[in-house]
Amino acid sequence: MKRRCCIAFAAVILLLIISAYVNIITGTVVMSASEVFAALAGRLAGTIEANVVLFIRLPRIIAAVILGGALALSGYMLQTFFNNPIVGPFVLGISSGAKLAVALTLIFCVTASGKPGTVSLVVAAFIGALISMAFVLAVSVRVKSMGVLVVCGIMIGYICSAITDLVVTFADDSNIVNLHNWSLGSFSGIGMRDIGVMSTIVGLCLIASVFLVKPLGAYRLGEDIARTEGVNITLLRILLILISSLLAATVTAFAGPISFVGVAVPHLWKSMARTSSPAVMIPGCFLLGGAVTLICDGIARSLFAPTEVSVSTITAVLLVPVVITVMIRRKKDNV
Amino acid sequence: MYDPKTDNGRDTGLCTSDLTVGYDSDIVKDIALEVRPGKIVTLIGPNGSGKSTILRTVTGLLDARAGVIMLDGCDKSGIPVKKSARRISTLMTGRAEAELMTCREVIESGRYPYTGLFGRMSEEDRKKVEEAVEATDTADIADRLFTNISDGQRQRVLLARAIAQDPGILVLDEPTSYLDIRYKTDILTRIRKLAKEDNIAVLLSLHEPEIAMKLSDTVAAVGDGKILRIGTPREVFTESFIRSLYKLGDADVGMMGTLWYDVDEDKLTDRDASAGWPEAGERRTHAIMIQGTMSGVGKSVITAALCRIFAADGYKTAPFKSQNMANNSYITGDGLEMGRAQALQAMCAYTSPDVRMNPILLKPTDDCGSQVVVMGKSVGNMRAGEYYEYKRSLVPVIRKAYDDLASEYDVIVIEGAGSPAEINLKENDIVNMGLAGMIDCPVILAGDIDRGGVFAQLIGTLDLLEPEERSRVGGLVINKFRGDEELLRPGIGALEARSGSKVIGVIPYIDINLDEEDSLSDRLRLTGRRSFDIAVVRLPHIANYTDLDVFDASPDVSVRYISRPGQAEGADIVILPGTKNTIGDLKWLWETKMADAVINLAKSSVPVLGICGGFQMLGRNVSDPESVEGGEAAEGLGLLPVDTVLLPQKTTRQFEGTIVNATGALSPLSGRMIKGYEIHMGSTKPYENVNEFTSDATGYCLGNIYGTYVHGLFDEGGTAAAAVNAILRFAGRETDIPKLCDRDEYRQKQADILADTVRASLDMDAIYRMMGLEKVN
Repeated sequence: MKRRCCIAFAAVILLLIISAYVNIITGTVVMSASEVFAALAGRLAGTIEANVVLFIRLPRIIAAVILGGALALSGYMLQTFFNNPIVGPFVLGISSGAKLAVALTLIFCVTASGKPGTVSLVVAAFIGALISMAFVLAVSVRVKSMGVLVVCGIMIGYICSAITDLVVTFADDSNIVNLHNWSLGSFSGIGMRDIGVMSTIVGLCLIASVFLVKPLGAYRLGEDIARTEGVNITLLRILLILISSLLAATVTAFAGPISFVGVAVPHLWKSMARTSSPAVMIPGCFLLGGAVTLICDGIARSLFAPTEVSVSTITAVLLVPVVITVMIRRKKDNV
Repeated sequence: MYDPKTDNGRDTGLCTSDLTVGYDSDIVKDIALEVRPGKIVTLIGPNGSGKSTILRTVTGLLDARAGVIMLDGCDKSGIPVKKSARRISTLMTGRAEAELMTCREVIESGRYPYTGLFGRMSEEDRKKVEEAVEATDTADIADRLFTNISDGQRQRVLLARAIAQDPGILVLDEPTSYLDIRYKTDILTRIRKLAKEDNIAVLLSLHEPEIAMKLSDTVAAVGDGKILRIGTPREVFTESFIRSLYKLGDADVGMMGTLWYDVDEDKLTDRDASAGWPEAGERRTHAIMIQGTMSGVGKSVITAALCRIFAADGYKTAPFKSQNMANNSYITGDGLEMGRAQALQAMCAYTSPDVRMNPILLKPTDDCGSQVVVMGKSVGNMRAGEYYEYKRSLVPVIRKAYDDLASEYDVIVIEGAGSPAEINLKENDIVNMGLAGMIDCPVILAGDIDRGGVFAQLIGTLDLLEPEERSRVGGLVINKFRGDEELLRPGIGALEARSGSKVIGVIPYIDINLDEEDSLSDRLRLTGRRSFDIAVVRLPHIANYTDLDVFDASPDVSVRYISRPGQAEGADIVILPGTKNTIGDLKWLWETKMADAVINLAKSSVPVLGICGGFQMLGRNVSDPESVEGGEAAEGLGLLPVDTVLLPQKTTRQFEGTIVNATGALSPLSGRMIKGYEIHMGSTKPYENVNEFTSDATGYCLGNIYGTYVHGLFDEGGTAAAAVNAILRFAGRETDIPKLCDRDEYRQKQADILADTVRASLDMDAIYRMMGLEKVN
C-alpha cells in the first residue's frame, strides 16, 4: 500500500513537470526549449520572448496548477462532507453562485470606483459561494438522496446562470466582452499580482486542511464512530464548508467556473493511490488537480490555436467519463 | 501519558438515572441502568422499543432528553468528549463505510482519542493496536481492504477498533446481526472474555433470547416506553414475561429455540450455569433472608440476633431490608432517614447504620397513603395504588443498595416484610421472594407459635409459594415458644413430613427490650410521645444530625421530627437543627407556618434551641451579601436579638469550652464544660444585652431561647440528662430521667442475650451450610 502511494506521488509529480514543460514551450509564439529556459533564467530580459514566457505563459501555468489543485481539494472536501461521490463545487452550484456574485460586482461596482480589484472579487465570489452552499445545505438536511442533492445543485447553477445572463443583458458592451470570456472559464489574462493573491488564499486553505487530516481520517468510518472517538463533528463540518467554499470561490473569481475537476480528480487520485487516507488525499488531490487542469488548459489553448476553447469544454469532455464510471461502479456496489 | 482511569481514581462503570431518551419525543423514559466493570448488561425488547436509542444516548450520539448518565461516578455531560472517548467505545449496527481503508487503518482509528493533533501513532498506540489485532485474531486480514472482507470479519475488525480505543466501557448494538453461527459464537466469546478477563463493563442489545440468557449478568427488558423488568436472566426470561414483552400472546413458539427458562429444568440448568460460565453467583458475599408467615412473628429480632451471631463469629455483617413501613425513623449521620429496626440491627452487627441497609422507607401519613422515602430522602406522599405502580422503578435502587452493601460486607442478613404469600400482591414483589430471587439467597421462614396456628401458618405459606420459591426455603423456624419443647416434638415431625422442609429451630419467647420498631410505632400511635418529648423541626436541607442521638437512646425520651405546625404542640423542647441552606429553609419555615408555631411555643415559654443553621434562623436577619446561598436575605424568627451574615469562608473546628451563662430553663447548665465541633459558613453578632450561652461567642441565649454553633454539645459528661432534668424541673414536673449515656451499653448487653438465646435454639450449622459458608471457628 505504502509503495503504491509513493509510486502514485512520483507519477503525479512527473505528470505535473511534463505538462508544465509542454505548456511553457508551446504557444503561438514559436520558441525552442533553450530559448524558453533562457527567458526563465532572465537572460533575455526585455525581449518579446521573455515577456511571453514570464508574463503570459508562466503565470498561466502557475494559475492553472494552483486553481486546479484548489478545485480538486474543494471537491474532495465536499464529497467527504456530503458523503456523496458525485458532488463537487461546480455540480453543487457553488461555482455558479460565486460566478453570479462576481458578475454582479463586475457590472455594478465598475461605475462607482473604477475596476474592482481581485481581492474584492474573491470576497464577492466567497459570499456568492456561501449563499448557494446555504441553499444546498438546506436541501441536504431534508433529503438524504445523493441524486436529489446533485439535481438540486444543478438547478441552483441554472438559476444563477439565468440571473447572470439577465444582468449581462443590461450591462455595458465593454463589460460584456470581459464577462463573456471570464464566464466560460479561462486562465488567460492572469497576472503575477493575481498569482500572489490566489496562492496566499489557497496556501492558507491547504494549511488549514492539514489540520483536518486527523478528524477526516476518523470520519471515513462514518459519523457515528467518528463522534464516539471524540471528533467534533460540528466543527469539522463547518471547517469543511468554509474551506471548500473559499477554494471554489477563489477559483471562480480568477478563472470563472471550471467544471468537473472537483468531482473527478479525487476519484482519479483514489484509484491511483488506492487509499482514502486524508494525509495522502489532500496533497495528492491538489497535485493531480493541478496537473489535470494544466493539461486541459494546454489542450484548450492549442487545440484550435490561435483560437482558444474554454477550459471547461476540455475538462468536461475528459472528466465526465470519469464521473460516469464512478457512478456505474457505485451502482454495482449497491446492488 | 494522561490516563483518565487513574486520573479520577475510580473506575466504576456506567450508570443512568431517570434517563429519558428519544429523538423528537420521548421513546424510553426513566431508565435506570448500571453497568459495572466486568459485568455484561443486555437490553432486550421488541423491534422499535428503543434499545438502540438508549445505546446511542449512552454513547453520546444523541442528547439525553432528561436524566443523568454517570461515567465513573461523574456526570457524563460535564466530561469533555475527548475524555469520555477514552472510557467508552462502541460497535454500532449499520455498515461502516470505509472506502479504501485497510483493516489496520480501521483499527488504528480507535486510537483517535489518544493521538496528537495530526494523529501520529506513538509506540504505545501501536502496541495497543497490536494487542487489539491479537485479541480479535485479525492479523491475517489486517492489510486487506475493509470493503473486501466478509461481514463476520468486518464485525471482528470493528470490535478490534473498539478494543484499540482501550475503553472501560464497551457499548454494542446488536453485535450478532447478519452473522452466521460461527461468527456469532466467535464475537460473543470475545465479548465475554473482554468482560471477565479485562474487567470491561459491557452494555449491549441483543435479539436472540438464548444468547442473552447465557451471556448476560443482568438483563433489562425495554418495552412500552420504559424498562419493564431488570434482573438476572432467570428473573427476566420467564414465559409469561417474555410472551407479554414480545406480544406473543398464546402464539405457538415451537419454531423457536429456547425463549425462556423452563421452571422444571430450573435446578438442572442452575447447576450447569454455575459450573460453566461464571455467573453473577460468584460473588463472595453470603446472604440469608428471614421471612415470616405474617407481620409480627419476630423477623426483626431474629435478623438482629443473626447479625450479632455472624458478627461475633468473625464475619463483617450488615442487615438489609428493601422496604420498611414504619412511623419512626432513624436519621443517619448524613441526615438520611432509614428504618429504626435496621439501625438497631446494624448496632447488633457492630457496624454503623447506613441508609443502604434500608433503601425504601414508607412512613404512613394520616390519610391512607404513605410518605415514600428512597435512599433516605423523601420523594413525596403516595397513595397505595400509586406506590404499587411506582415501586417497579425502585428495583434498580434496591439492587444498587444491596450490591453496594454486598461489596463491603461478608454476610448480609435480609429481613423480609409481612408474608411472602400475599398472592394478590405477588407481582412486582421487591421485599420477599422477589428480592430473594433477585439476589439468589436462601430463605428461612419463621412462624409465631404465641399467636397460635403455627403449623397452619408454615404449611399454608409454603403451599402458596411457587415451586421455585419454595425451593428457596432452606428451613423453618418456630418463634416465641413458651413451655415444654417435648410437647412440640410430634408436631415438628408432622410439619417436616408434610412440608418437606426441615425445622431448624424453635426459639423461646424472649422478653427483650431492643427498641423494636413495631412496638415503637405502636407507642407512637397510642400516646404519640414519651415522658420527655423533643420536637425537631425537619428542615428540608437538614444537616449534621447526630446532635440528638444521645437523647434518642433513652426509652423515656422521644425525639420526633416534625414538619407540620400542629405536630409541635406539647413538645418539651423545640429544636431547630443545622441545615445546608439557611435562607431556603427559613423561607420554608415561614411558608409552612412552622415559624409561627415555633414562635407561639416560645411565647408560652417552651425552650427553643437552635443549633448552627437553626441558631442563625432564631435571629432577626440572615443576609447573604456574598451570595453564598444565592444572595437573597431572609427575615429570621426574631426570637434572639442577633444578626447573621453568611460568608464564603467555612468555619470548621473542634470546640472545647463552657456553657457560660444559660438563662431560663437551662440555667442549671451554666458552668458546664462542653466539647463539640463547629461547621458553618457565616458569623452571628449579638445586638443588645443577650447572654453568652456557649463560650468564645459561639452562642447566645435570652430567656428560654438558646442558639449555638456548637454541634454535639450534649454528647458528653451527662449534659443531655442534665438538660432534660433541668427542663422538667423548670416545667414543674417531677419525673426523673435515668442516665442517658448508659443506654447503649444496655442495648449491647440485650443484643448479646438475644444472640445467645437464638444461637442456642437454632441449628446454626444448617444455616451456615445453606449460605455456603464454612463456620469460622
